[in-house]
Amino acid sequence: MIGPEDVGGAWGEVISRFHAEQPDIMIDYISGPWSTDERQNMYIRSFLAADAIELVYMDVIWTAKFAAQEWLMPLDNWFTPHVRAAFLPGDVEAGFYQGHFYRVPVRTDVGMLYYRKDLIPEPPRTWEEFETVCNRYGNPPERYCIVFQGMQYEGLVCNYLEYLWGAGGTPLDKDQNVLLDGKENISALTFMKKVIDSGWAPRSVITFQEQQALEFFEQGKALMMRNWPYAWTILKRSPLVGKVGVVPFIHQTGKEPAGTLGGWGLGIARTTKFPEAAWKFIEFATSPEAQKILHFKRGAVPTRRSLFQDEAILKESPHYRDLYDVLLKARPRPIHPEYPRISAILQKNVSAVLVGIETPAAAALRMDRSIESVLKGKRHSWPRRLLLDYDLKMTLKNTLIFTSFSVPCEFLLGLFFALLTHLPFRGRSLSRLAVLVPWALPTAVMAMTWQWMFNNPFGVVNDFLVRIGLLREPIDWLSTPAGAMFAAVFADVWKTTPFVAIILLAGLQTIPGELKESLSIDGGGRIVMFFHLLLPLLMPFIRVALIFRIIHAAGIFDLMWVLTKGGPADTTRTLSLYIYDLAFRYDEVGYALFLTFLFLICLVLLSLLIVRTTTFRYERI
Amino acid sequence: MKVKKILFYLVVASVFLYCLFPFLWTLQTALKPAEEVFRLPVSYLPERISLENVRDVFSKRPFGRYVLNSFITAGGATALTLWVASIIAFRLRAMALGKAMRIQRWFLVGAILPPALLVIPVFIVMKHLDLLNSYLGLILAYTALNLPFAVWMLHAAFRQLPRELDEAAVLDGFSSSAILYRIILPLSRPTLAVAAVLVFIFCWNEFILALSLMPSQAKYTVPVGVALLSGASVYEIPWGEINAAVAITTVPIILVIAAFQRWIIEGLTKGAVKG
Repeated sequence: MIGPEDVGGAWGEVISRFHAEQPDIMIDYISGPWSTDERQNMYIRSFLAADAIELVYMDVIWTAKFAAQEWLMPLDNWFTPHVRAAFLPGDVEAGFYQGHFYRVPVRTDVGMLYYRKDLIPEPPRTWEEFETVCNRYGNPPERYCIVFQGMQYEGLVCNYLEYLWGAGGTPLDKDQNVLLDGKENISALTFMKKVIDSGWAPRSVITFQEQQALEFFEQGKALMMRNWPYAWTILKRSPLVGKVGVVPFIHQTGKEPAGTLGGWGLGIARTTKFPEAAWKFIEFATSPEAQKILHFKRGAVPTRRSLFQDEAILKESPHYRDLYDVLLKARPRPIHPEYPRISAILQKNVSAVLVGIETPAAAALRMDRSIESVLKGKRHSWPRRLLLDYDLKMTLKNTLIFTSFSVPCEFLLGLFFALLTHLPFRGRSLSRLAVLVPWALPTAVMAMTWQWMFNNPFGVVNDFLVRIGLLREPIDWLSTPAGAMFAAVFADVWKTTPFVAIILLAGLQTIPGELKESLSIDGGGRIVMFFHLLLPLLMPFIRVALIFRIIHAAGIFDLMWVLTKGGPADTTRTLSLYIYDLAFRYDEVGYALFLTFLFLICLVLLSLLIVRTTTFRYERI
Repeated sequence: MKVKKILFYLVVASVFLYCLFPFLWTLQTALKPAEEVFRLPVSYLPERISLENVRDVFSKRPFGRYVLNSFITAGGATALTLWVASIIAFRLRAMALGKAMRIQRWFLVGAILPPALLVIPVFIVMKHLDLLNSYLGLILAYTALNLPFAVWMLHAAFRQLPRELDEAAVLDGFSSSAILYRIILPLSRPTLAVAAVLVFIFCWNEFILALSLMPSQAKYTVPVGVALLSGASVYEIPWGEINAAVAITTVPIILVIAAFQRWIIEGLTKGAVKG
């Protein structure tokens, strides 16, 4: 199984106790990335490669998709109604897909509002009360009113849905019709944006996941925090112990509050050779004994009803009495095999509203249409879908922006480097070596370096610009659309200028020195020499370099995938990233291949152009 | 004149700095002790050199395994590429120049495509051949990817060897494969070496195919391992370790290109442009 890094050693202990009971069964805990999206991709890649990770530790939202793909084994025979009755009903319900059961809940989660009892006499229940509390007690930037998870990832959807439900809306109805173009959605988005724009939440929440929000709250810099139950365990060990209370999340007056149901559970890959052994582990990992370990060491909320009356647990977490009621009201996210794409669309649009590059009304409309087109898109033929494909349009636009900024810069700088390293001077071969370096280093690896250099606040770019006085304060480069695009273009220019320089240098070396001499005897100055001798003779090389660079900039993948992942709000997502996601995340291999094919045709046409433009050179040799 | 010279060297120095800065920055971060990495204001030179990050990369994560995987795939692909390319280049050499060039131009079309476009078809093929998560699968993919480039370089080198050599060899009773292995290849050793270095670097650096064809963590190559390195939470991204991993990956490349610099530029320009 893959999980996040085992901080606190909870899983280590569960597994070693299991090994003590069942010495013949080996369970391997793979310490995956913290990002749940990334862990899901690891599972998907393993299923696609037919080399499945046998124990699937999955988020509540993966179940429908994994089950629909027949990657999971139904557990109905083991997880009988009798066994089931001991678990929380919402979590059991979320383990079903089309009448079969696939996922045994290990820990549950629900979004809720933490507040400072010592600073706010009465926690807000409605949006209106929230506004009053914020205006009265908030004092930014020393003390903001609320922090939540505003980064473009799954957590943002959980936050957003609580506003949407709180406004009386819902994304899909029972018949899977999309209901997002109504006033509920617009008022939810407007209110979320208002929370940031009014300074109730710090602007940096758009880069926050759970951990950053918690740190911020822990440092006393916010009055309230939207987070999961795990935060309680950590706050208990902080100076804030005893000063924090929990209530359901705020809602519009006259509507019902709701928290997003989360949680993790275990399933078994269909291709496993040892289903019995896997089940034995699941049985153990969801036993009261194991759930207690996970609770005490990791802050996991148990999924067995009985544990909410357990004395040891109630002593540690007295708020579980209240939490139990909140959990009974928790609402699941849409249960649909296409959930990942629905979520991606929600993430991107909510993020766009929060960042300020889209209005709530426009984003609501686009959410509605995009999800509609995903759910119904498969009914259309590919060419028709192509015309409706909103993501394609956006990624094509980003690709064009990226290419049209990076290629000219690379070319001019490359030409300059070539001319410079062509001159005879002491240290020329060393400088040629320096120019070679960026070209020879792996793009994906150096993208990590760039991410580090553009980091806020520890990155050297911010530090340097502040020191020389160009910036007044550090910029969050990678979380603003313009900043992220700039960083990507800058890194790409650095990486590929040498390629242009090498080709042009080769071109310069083919020009005989006598030509230059005779021209300078004829009285041609440097500028005349450059435009009338060098440029025309370099033309074939320039063409090769330019077209090569255009094609590769258009197909950029490595740099973006590592540096920005296409974010924020998909503003740096390029065509290749989109096609890759279609194939490897959304299982739309057919459509992805169709797009690849079209893209290929365009590029082959360009390549043929290269062949044509360089042909006369070969014939001359 | 003196001022001009100083200005000129200032320009050269800034080009140096621009090209090398990201690498140097990674190196200095990697050598900082863990607590100095996250300290403000940013220090431009480590106060104390520490190998803590480097050690952590190997002890806390299977980084050694990634290095081994990279060596196996890049090494295997380099050997296979050079072998196949030398056979093809030898055949091309036997043809009339015009015809050989026409064939090569078609290779060019394949070589110019970005790997991001090839990854889905290649993935499907490898899946059907049951070659996912296998060294052989990635080696075959890399060979296909680098073949056109290797063929150009070798063809350009083989062409320079006089035909009379072959004729003399035939008279001596050499078979055509013996001519390739015992005459042509030994005479083209410098080009072979440069081609090997370049193909190896390309394979070592490749990302998207390695990411897709080797999904299991035990088979990650170095770039994939580095790109997926992460910590206990987003807030605690282990930048010290990441920079150490980047440094470990890039230092050998820089040493190699420093050793082969002159031939690399020559080889690239001959192969990629003239060919």
